[in-house]
Amino acid sequence: MISRRHFLTTTAGVAVAAGLPLSAFAQGAATATPKRGGTLTATWGGFEPQALFVPPGGGSSPYFTSTKVLERLLRLDTSLNFQPVLATEVTPAADFKSYTIKLRPNVTWHDGKPFTADDVVYNALSYWKPVSAGLALKALTGAEAVDPLTVKLTFNTTVPEFFLKSVLAGKAGLVIPKHLYDGKELLTNPANNLPVGTGPWKVKEWVRGSHVEMERFDKYWDAGKPYADRLVIRWWRDPASRSAAFEAGQLDIGCFNPIPAPDIKRLEATKKFVSTTKGYENSAWIASIEFNGRRDITKNVAVRQALMHAIDREFIADTIYFGLAKPATGFIPSSNALFYTKDVEQYPFDVELAAKKLDAAGYPLKGKTRFKISLVAAGWFEENVKLGQYLKQALEDVGVEVDLAIPDRATSLKRIYGDYDYDIAISNNSGPVELVPYWTQFVTTDGIVKGAAFRNANGFSDPKMDTLVENLATNTDPAKRKALAVEFQQTVAKQLPITALVDINSVTVARSDVRDHSQDADFMGESWSRVWLDR
Amino acid sequence: MRRILLRRFAQIIPLILGVIVLNFALIQMSPGSFLDVMTAEQQVSDPAMIERMRVLYGMDKPVVVQLLKYIWSVMTLDFGYSYRQNETVLAVIGQALPATVILMLASIAIALLIGVLAGVIAAVKVNTIWDNLISVGAVFFFAAPTFWLGIMLMIVFSVRLGWLPVGGMRDIGVDHGVFGDALDVMRHLALPALSLGLFYAAMYTRVMRASMLEVFRHDFVRTARAKGLSGAQVVLRHVFRNALLPVVTLLGLQLGTVLGGSVVIETVFSWPGIGSLMLDSVMSRNYPVVLGVLVLSSLIVAVANALVDIAYFRLDPRIRAR
Repeated sequence: MISRRHFLTTTAGVAVAAGLPLSAFAQGAATATPKRGGTLTATWGGFEPQALFVPPGGGSSPYFTSTKVLERLLRLDTSLNFQPVLATEVTPAADFKSYTIKLRPNVTWHDGKPFTADDVVYNALSYWKPVSAGLALKALTGAEAVDPLTVKLTFNTTVPEFFLKSVLAGKAGLVIPKHLYDGKELLTNPANNLPVGTGPWKVKEWVRGSHVEMERFDKYWDAGKPYADRLVIRWWRDPASRSAAFEAGQLDIGCFNPIPAPDIKRLEATKKFVSTTKGYENSAWIASIEFNGRRDITKNVAVRQALMHAIDREFIADTIYFGLAKPATGFIPSSNALFYTKDVEQYPFDVELAAKKLDAAGYPLKGKTRFKISLVAAGWFEENVKLGQYLKQALEDVGVEVDLAIPDRATSLKRIYGDYDYDIAISNNSGPVELVPYWTQFVTTDGIVKGAAFRNANGFSDPKMDTLVENLATNTDPAKRKALAVEFQQTVAKQLPITALVDINSVTVARSDVRDHSQDADFMGESWSRVWLDR
Repeated sequence: MRRILLRRFAQIIPLILGVIVLNFALIQMSPGSFLDVMTAEQQVSDPAMIERMRVLYGMDKPVVVQLLKYIWSVMTLDFGYSYRQNETVLAVIGQALPATVILMLASIAIALLIGVLAGVIAAVKVNTIWDNLISVGAVFFFAAPTFWLGIMLMIVFSVRLGWLPVGGMRDIGVDHGVFGDALDVMRHLALPALSLGLFYAAMYTRVMRASMLEVFRHDFVRTARAKGLSGAQVVLRHVFRNALLPVVTLLGLQLGTVLGGSVVIETVFSWPGIGSLMLDSVMSRNYPVVLGVLVLSSLIVAVANALVDIAYFRLDPRIRAR
């Protein structure tokens, strides 16, 4: 179980709760002149990856390592503007049914082979569409190399510009070398353990259970970068050990809540460390509650709405997450600057109202209880354990008997997404700013895929919702997309197949002399070529 | 002795078979499968892709067929393929095993050295301040959780004093030469080995002390003293050797638990051994690796116990006489 204690009581959390800026925002504005050299030693708040690169995704750990070696066509900055990486331009045709991608010249793979349009065509047709971004690129019908540095992607429908650029800048958009993968099994390719990319870092050595050492790629297309000579990513399973490593000077930077919350405050007090919640705009996390629409009681929308009134989300944010979370107002996190709306049905904490609504829904108290439900709290985060225990008490306060189960990771996945064996489930979801398909697939009919995790497990299926999401996926007018996104959020909040209990904050901790970090919307998944050491 | 050893090694075959069948059954009975974890981690939602992975992992075949196939593979020294790590199981274990063996041997050496020495002193100085201090120390280190002890040692020796590294097995990216590298590994080994070793040292201290006091009461010790041997000669030549037998027994039994204990210490010190691999494999239901580790560790324990038998043979003439 990944400890998320480090989400709980940090200074960062207190500061966020109080509306104060984190000390970390002084982490190094990109104004000072960068210095070359040094070894940047990094970690994250989780475990070692199973492989340095996992083609279909593989979770945060392989994502963290692979993105230092492999690059994407674009990146998204913290102001939600797309910036060029391997592509210099991505331009839609007038009908938005095709896009022309101009590639950066003079880019080479780590093994010396040139990066060309053929690589991008291979990725689009043989990697992104069938493996990493199937749902997002279901409209992709073709990819052709117009010339060695130009690619044309064609679609069978209109594709919004922000949507496509999000895919190209997102987790599924890494570009792998055609010459090492073409004609070979993607999932078991030896290059997955020692990836060859175009990125600023070349893998030198991976010692399983300890670290991966990367060295500067001298022929990197962005001359002068990366600034550091070496990047070492180390893994400690124990957050307290990571704290000790920071203090002993053996760690420079840690992403995604690397150390226990109280330690952040203590380390910051020494003035040698800073922390920030910046750099996670395109990878927001929520703690979600899901109601199983296949079960007699929870398929009743009135029951779902009533139960939401029994849950005190302020308490969850303040006590369970120690302030490092925000009470959610709907399914989409409030950090989503582009699509989030607060203008959705709200369910304020009111036990009496919850009881009245349950009475009205046809479930009056019979003795001490109204009905019994099974609650599965996915056991992969420590907070989910507490959340499950709290929810049991909260629901029992309105006369609902709760059979609580907090299984381990594999069992949770099977019960929630494989067997649909729950009435109410507590899970976690993370996704980018773009809503389609990461957020929408929890409520669309095509999101129901038995055994596929982090999809529609609640069974919600509504043709109106499917049409709404289809429009959101194909409408090319940004203003209309925003309106559709609002309608989407309002429908989800009213029907409540799933919603967020809290929006979770993620924190990066770094030594004060680590400069220019956290300047992308998904810092953990960026190449870190611009990070430098002020020593 | 050859007969004893042959009998011991013959017992290994049914032991390994039992380990495979029992653990295979346990993994199959656990809810959630390797496929569930892999599809979730890899965010696979395409049913065709899920089916492709099921076939790739061999999970499309009946469980009994999977088991028989695995047993046959092990008999041909093929421990299978770990799709999670994208390498053969032997390669995955082979990378982690040396670190765990080094940690095991170092912690056992520390435990024996400190435990036996402290036990002898406590027995010789029974009911003195030395005995009391050693007893309190033994109780403390036995009761202290190894992860806590590890973190405390880390804070003192790595964070405060800056003498030793916080984790890992060697300095990254630095070539110290053969001798220098060995010293570097020892420097990294000190804290994890001490954390693990002190727990077992506490146990050996108590057993050694009790065993020494027991042997002190025997007639041959009185005879030795009557013959005019000095106190040190009595202790070293007569009492110590006889008192060592229970410690040797304990050592054989504990080799298996040291492997288990290393899971925690490897986690704290980021020691690249079997412990973290095993933990990750159990959590992800990666049964080829789980079974591979269990089979190999059973082999290690079985061989170690055979070696303990040999030690018995050397230490106790009565066994030789039988």
